[in-house]
Amino acid sequence: MCGIAALFAYRDAAPAVERAELDAIAERMRPRGPDAGGVWLSGDGRVGLAARRLAIIDLSPEGDQPMHDVNGELHIVFNGEIYNHAELRARLQRFGVQFRSTSDTEVLLELYRHDGARMIELLRGMFAFAIWDARARRMFVGRDPYGIKPLYVADDGATFRAASTVKALLAGGRVSRAVDPAGAAGFFLTGSVPEPFTIFDAVKPVEPGSSFFVDERGPSPPRRFYSVAATFARALDQETIADLVAPSALLRELVVESLQYHLVADVPVGAFLSAGIDSTTLVALTHEAKHAAPRCVTLQFDVARGTEADEAPLAERFARDIGAPHTTRLVTRDEVVADLPRFFDAMDQPTIDGTNTWFVSKAAAEAGLKVAISGVGGDELFGSYPSFRDVPRMVRMNAVPPVGAVAAKLMRNPKAKHFTLGRTWAGAYLLKRGLFMPDDLPQLLGRDVADEGLKRLDLLCRIDANLAPDPGTAFGRVATLEAAMYMRNQLLRDTDWASMAHSLEVRTPLVDAALTRQLAPLLLANGAKCKRYFAESPRPPLPEWLRTRPKRGFGVPLAQWMELAADGTSTRMRSWSRVVWERFF
Amino acid sequence: MKILVLCTDAYGGHGGIALYTRDLIEALAAEGDVVAIPRVVRHELEPIPPNVTFVAEAARNMRAYMRAVGRAVRERFDLVVCAHVNLLPVARMFRCKTVLWIYGIEAWKPTRRGAALVRGVQGVASISDITCERFLNWSCFAGPTFLVPNAIHPERYGMRPRNEALVQRWSLAGKRVLLTLGRIVAAERYKGFDEVIEVLPSLPDDVVYLAAGGGSDLPRLQAKARDLRVAERVVFTGPVDEREKADLYNLADVYVMPSRGEGFGFVFLEALACGVSVIGSRHDGGREALRNGELGLLVDPSNPAEIRTAILDVLAQPRREVPAGLAHFTFDNFQPRVHSLLGELIDEI
Repeated sequence: MCGIAALFAYRDAAPAVERAELDAIAERMRPRGPDAGGVWLSGDGRVGLAARRLAIIDLSPEGDQPMHDVNGELHIVFNGEIYNHAELRARLQRFGVQFRSTSDTEVLLELYRHDGARMIELLRGMFAFAIWDARARRMFVGRDPYGIKPLYVADDGATFRAASTVKALLAGGRVSRAVDPAGAAGFFLTGSVPEPFTIFDAVKPVEPGSSFFVDERGPSPPRRFYSVAATFARALDQETIADLVAPSALLRELVVESLQYHLVADVPVGAFLSAGIDSTTLVALTHEAKHAAPRCVTLQFDVARGTEADEAPLAERFARDIGAPHTTRLVTRDEVVADLPRFFDAMDQPTIDGTNTWFVSKAAAEAGLKVAISGVGGDELFGSYPSFRDVPRMVRMNAVPPVGAVAAKLMRNPKAKHFTLGRTWAGAYLLKRGLFMPDDLPQLLGRDVADEGLKRLDLLCRIDANLAPDPGTAFGRVATLEAAMYMRNQLLRDTDWASMAHSLEVRTPLVDAALTRQLAPLLLANGAKCKRYFAESPRPPLPEWLRTRPKRGFGVPLAQWMELAADGTSTRMRSWSRVVWERFF
Repeated sequence: MKILVLCTDAYGGHGGIALYTRDLIEALAAEGDVVAIPRVVRHELEPIPPNVTFVAEAARNMRAYMRAVGRAVRERFDLVVCAHVNLLPVARMFRCKTVLWIYGIEAWKPTRRGAALVRGVQGVASISDITCERFLNWSCFAGPTFLVPNAIHPERYGMRPRNEALVQRWSLAGKRVLLTLGRIVAAERYKGFDEVIEVLPSLPDDVVYLAAGGGSDLPRLQAKARDLRVAERVVFTGPVDEREKADLYNLADVYVMPSRGEGFGFVFLEALACGVSVIGSRHDGGREALRNGELGLLVDPSNPAEIRTAILDVLAQPRREVPAGLAHFTFDNFQPRVHSLLGELIDEI
């Protein structure tokens, strides 16, 4: 886990890469990698790589970055973890490759030499990397299937720049800070800036599950190697496979396998623990997989103490029952207010979320952890959000036009007048997940910015594009949209910056392309029942008092502490978004 | 000692389970007298070992089966080996110490009354750990369990030159051959035929796929090969004569079966016994047949990139040899394994 940067002055007319720019970019990412740092410039000054390192696999200096091969032909900066690096290493060794370290970074380097661009399809992990291939004078850039690890690029037509964070790219001083109206509109519509935009016009995210080359002509179009929609579409004719094994047994096998990969580390791996099914089941299965329970961290908010919203007593009871070392970390309003300046400084792009991860990561770091596993992604995988019920229902209701129109009039929610948007899957999803509606934007951004932003954003088309090829079932469609929109643009992005601000690596065993591929037939066949099967998968199954507890969100009572106005929604997130917008810039 | 074996098929049966049961009966016969009552006899009987009474007429119909069972009930047995979960109600009629033998998918999911019937069993022997784990998950069986993997008779296989008649029959001259052998029926789509056909377009043109076996799902697979424009590179052999099996394996450069439903995958052992490099699945019994990767490469059957890469890797390093590790599964090791485990079971019982 690191912060990386790669610069390539690919046009002859472009000025050479400056060390000062690389240094500034790397310095902005220091919390992402406090253990070591390095900068490399090619002899001709056309290419520069920089990295900050949080050492987790191979703690020795042999794993430092930028890393170079013995011939000086290949150079890499890499952020993330390759969980199957040992298998890939063994395979390369069968072909005679000799390694100098035990680091996964070196495996990437040699895998690229052996398999070229298709190497990316063999990786199991979370990753973003850039490899400078001096032989071909081109840079190979790639990002993991779900976009767990961030990577942003800025291309001015002469120099290509890439870095782990938007703010780091800006810190180099050569990238424009002009706000992208599409990013701004996207933030107010969804609560986060939806890819393929960022809040700054000159900066774009690398598409998750894709790779591309940059040569003297500039970046090539990205090649997609993974899509959630295609995964579900492929599973449609695999019903017989879903029916072979009892669901809880299959879930147990595959999640334990995912955990075994995600627990690969040369430092202790802890866990975030709430009283929800995902985190408790993961901790129980980790206990079985490693024959020892991980150190667990739970948040407790002073305003929630003694109420039903307080998860700490249940988490403590669960941890005690399975013998896990456990820390409950109390968070007070004063601490939240005191942390806000640092919180907004670390926030890489505007978002209405991230506070929960900020504090639980802070608590984990205080407990001495460098790595923690999280149950994030479980709701998307097992279909436990209300959207899995409500989005198909909206689409069904809108299939009968008078019903949609009447519902629009009767509902009190401020989004209700747009109810007929729900005649398409994209529209229904936006209605369910949206923060503001398009006609609210002029008031928030001014009419010109709102109009331009909405036009460029074209959000409904972008949401809809995620559904190609058609995942085939209502469950598959909503699961795809949740993974491609909410999880990618908000959950995973916020998890990254909010944890890295505390030099903590968060691992997500339930956000794993291999796991989704393996489970897809079962998920399509069983839908939201899979959550119950998941809770039954440990031996013994989760206790009844945890399994039957109503689902609750894992959120910081921000609105209450900040005394925010309700502004039409029960969560008061619309008001919080205005605060974020003001404080971010 | 007198042992009753209740089985689906054994002598006169084709396929991995029939073969396994024959080996099991032979191993048990070294211990005492064995009476075996099959449900199915489809082919000519192989030689029956001494000490074994194989009640072939029981397979004629249900009445004949129940008559055979009725006769057996009047006898006294020291042990009943019940070789299928669905035969547990029959085993129960004997009011005798019972060992349930499990092979694969028949034991991976709860069966009607299965959990209740299993409670009357004193031991469970499984062909693989994965089958045992999946069985325990639903049955909650708390008694002793034992691992008794398949046996291979290497002398029936061996490396040999390609059979020219088969090469000509299937136009394999100058081609590199991938092979999968299995029943091609809708209920067994877990074999991995689909997955191999899907990666074929990304493999070199001289690589052809021998999809060996017959079944009702053939037209669907043929259509898939046409859709992917690899129809001319896929040979559907139809049902394979047992006598041609060793020659069939010897045609292959790679035996590849990225399956998800094999309890063990005896075909892997057969291919290895012919010196063929093997690619199996990480997510079913194939993993154990290949001894966690010691005897062949393991892939995630849901990942086409892994399957493709494994095939290319094997083709890049062609090697024909019977691996020494195959000895772990020879009948010479199977027999004492059965007897020692059975001895433990009987003591336990």
